[in-house]
Amino acid sequence: MGPQREEMLTGNMAAAWGARLARAEYVPAYPITPQTEIVETLAQWFADGTMQGKFVTMDSEHSMLTAAGAAAATGVRVFTATSSQGLLYAFEVLYTVAGWRVPLVLVNVSRALASPITLEPDHNDVLAARDAGFLQIHCETCQEVLDSILMAYKIAEDPRVLLPVIVNLDGYYLSFTREPVAIPSAEEAAAFLPPYEPHHAFFKASRPLAQGIAVLGGFIYSYFRYQEQLAARNALAVHDEVAAEFARRFGRSYGPVEAYRLEDAEYALVMSNAFATKGKAAVDLFRQRGERVGLLRLRLLRPFPHEAVQAALRGKRAVAVLDQNLSVGQGGITYQEVAAALYHEPSRPLLLSCIGGLGGKEISAGEFEEVLELMKEAAATGQVPGPQLLYTEGEQTQMAHLLDIAGKEWG
Amino acid sequence: MIRVRFHGRGGHGMKTASRILGTAAFLEGFRVQDSPLYGAERRGAPITAFTRINDHPILERGIITIPDLVLVADETLLEDPLANPFLGLHAGSLLFINSPTSTQAMAEAVAARHPTPARILTGDLTALTLEKIGKAQALSATVGAAACKLAGVIGMGALEKATRKELEELGLPSPLIDRNLEAALLAFEQTPRVPLASAPPQPAPLQGLVVPVYQPPARGTPSVAAPGNIILRKTGGWRIFRPVIEYDKCNQCWICFVRCPEGAISLDEKEDPHIDYDHCKGCLICVEECPTKAVVKEREVHAW
Repeated sequence: MGPQREEMLTGNMAAAWGARLARAEYVPAYPITPQTEIVETLAQWFADGTMQGKFVTMDSEHSMLTAAGAAAATGVRVFTATSSQGLLYAFEVLYTVAGWRVPLVLVNVSRALASPITLEPDHNDVLAARDAGFLQIHCETCQEVLDSILMAYKIAEDPRVLLPVIVNLDGYYLSFTREPVAIPSAEEAAAFLPPYEPHHAFFKASRPLAQGIAVLGGFIYSYFRYQEQLAARNALAVHDEVAAEFARRFGRSYGPVEAYRLEDAEYALVMSNAFATKGKAAVDLFRQRGERVGLLRLRLLRPFPHEAVQAALRGKRAVAVLDQNLSVGQGGITYQEVAAALYHEPSRPLLLSCIGGLGGKEISAGEFEEVLELMKEAAATGQVPGPQLLYTEGEQTQMAHLLDIAGKEWG
Repeated sequence: MIRVRFHGRGGHGMKTASRILGTAAFLEGFRVQDSPLYGAERRGAPITAFTRINDHPILERGIITIPDLVLVADETLLEDPLANPFLGLHAGSLLFINSPTSTQAMAEAVAARHPTPARILTGDLTALTLEKIGKAQALSATVGAAACKLAGVIGMGALEKATRKELEELGLPSPLIDRNLEAALLAFEQTPRVPLASAPPQPAPLQGLVVPVYQPPARGTPSVAAPGNIILRKTGGWRIFRPVIEYDKCNQCWICFVRCPEGAISLDEKEDPHIDYDHCKGCLICVEECPTKAVVKEREVHAW
C-alpha cells in the first residue's frame, strides 16, 4: 500500500481531488450552490498547471453536459459537476450522452428541488436521473467521494460497461463539511487508473466515425437502448472487481451496499448518503440497550444491486426504508426499488416506508426511535402502516407559528 | 374493417387524402382511425398514410401491413423498397395506381415485374388534378376522392363535407378549395366501384424471442464506422424531372460535374459527363448551369 497523506477536506474538495487524481483532461463548468467550490478549485488547478488539459466555463448546465459528452466522445477523460436545478436543466442531455456510451464522471451535489426553492439537500435531484443510463454511486463520507470518483472512472471506462457515472454527495452535510480524507499519491492513483483508451468512440482523422446518429425504426432503437441495460448490469460485477483492486491498493473497501451491524439484526433501516451516518448512530444506541437493529446503506443505486439487497435483508422481521426524497403521488423512491428486489424472496420482511430529511430536514434520534416502534408494531400485528412522514410535533408547532407570521390562516 | 394504405411522396398530400377518407367515413357514422407515417420530412421522400374504417371499435394501431385497398400517388414508388406498396396485398385487395397507363397495361407490367395476388386499377388523377387545380402534385383531394369511392361505403355528400373540412383546416383560400372540390367530385365519379374483401384472419405465427446479449462496444454502440455507405441509399426515385445530357451539344466544360451537389455526375476517360440515375435526386442544377444547354429536363416517365 502506497503512502497516503491525510488532510482536512470538504466533500467538494474531495471531489476536486478525485478529478485531479483521475487526471481529467477536460472539465466544462457552470457554478451552482452548493457545488461551486469544486469547479473553483479545478479552475485554479488548471490555471496554475497542477492539472493538464482544458477547463471551460459554459453558459448553462445544458451546454456543460453536452460539451462533456462530446469531449468524451473524442476519447478524452472528462469530469464535470452540478447540483439540483442544474442537473435538471441538463436533463435531456443525461439520456443523450449515456446513449453515446461515453464514460465521463459527473459529480452531483444533492440539493432539494424548487418549489419552494431551497439550498439544503434531499435526493429528488439525483434520483430524477435514475433512468437516464448513468450509473449512480451515493456517498456517505468525504473520503468516499474521492475514492468513488477514482472507482467510477475505472468502472465507466471498462469495455463491459462504457456508461457515464454520477457520483453523489449531499450538499452542506458533505459539500461544506471538512473531515480527514486520505489522499492517494498521484503515482498510486495512476497505477490504479491507467489512461483511457477507447475503441468505440474517439476522434481520429484516419478513422472517421459518425457518432450521435439518428435512427428510425423501433427495432434499431431497442437494440441500442437495451445494450445500455446490459452494460449497466455488467457494471455490478465490474464494480466488485474494481472495489477489490481499490481495497488491495488503498486499504478501503466498498460494496454496492454497506451492511452496518446487520448480521444478527431483527430490524433494519435502509438509508443512503450522509444521513446514513445519523442512522448508524441510532443503530448504535439501539444496540447499547440490546435491541437487534442494523442498517443497510444503498451505495450503488444504478445498477440496482438486487442480490446484495436481498442477501442483506434476508431473515429480518421488519425493514424501514427511509427515503430522503418523494415521488409525488407515489411515495419514497428507493422503497419501491427495495420492495421490487424483495418481492420474490420466499420469506420477505415486512417493509415500511418513511419519508424523512426532505430539504435537509433533521432526522433526530427521537424520530429513529419512532421508526423502530413502527417496525416493532408491524412485526407484532403483521399490519404494515402506510408511508410515514418523519415530521415532529415540535416542527409542526414551529411551522404553525411561521404560517401565522406569514399572515396565513392555520386550518 | 376496411384497411386503406396511401403511398405518395412528401408534397403529394397523402396525409390529407387519408384524412379526407377518414373524415368522410366518420361522417357516415363509422369508427375510424387515420394516421400518417413519416420520418425526417422532406419533399420527394416516400411517405405513407393509413385509414381504418369499421363498424365496431378498432382494436388496431399503427401501420397497416395487410391492406384491403392501396392507393399509390406516384408509380415510381412501386419499386421503392422504402415505400413497399405491395406489402401485404392479398387476393381480396385492390391496388390503385395513379397513372396514365391503362389498367390492362399496368396489370401486365406488374405481373411481369412484381407479381401480386391483388387486383390492379389505374386512373389518371394527375391529369385531372392538373386540369382542375393546376398543380400536378396537389393530389390530396383527387386521391382522397378515389379512396372514398373504392372504400364503397361513402357517399358524395360525405366526401364533399370531408374535403372542405380538411382543406379549410390547412388554410387553403376559398377559391382553391372550390377547385379541389370540383376535382374531387369528378374523381369520385370517374373511379369505378370495385368490391373489396378483407383478408381472412390468420393466427399470428410464433416469432421466437431472443435473449439479448451484450456486444463489444466497437459493435454495440450507436455510431457508424463504414465510410461512404450512402451509395446504398438510392435516391433516384425522388425525381419529378430527369436531367438528360445531349452529347452533341456538350463542350466538356465540366461545369455540371463540378456543380452537382450529390456527386451524381462523373466523367469518363474521354471527359464526357455521365449521370448516375440511381442517386440523382432531380434538383436540375446541372440543367440550370450548363452553358451550352446540353443538359435538358424531361418529365420523369417511369419504368411502369
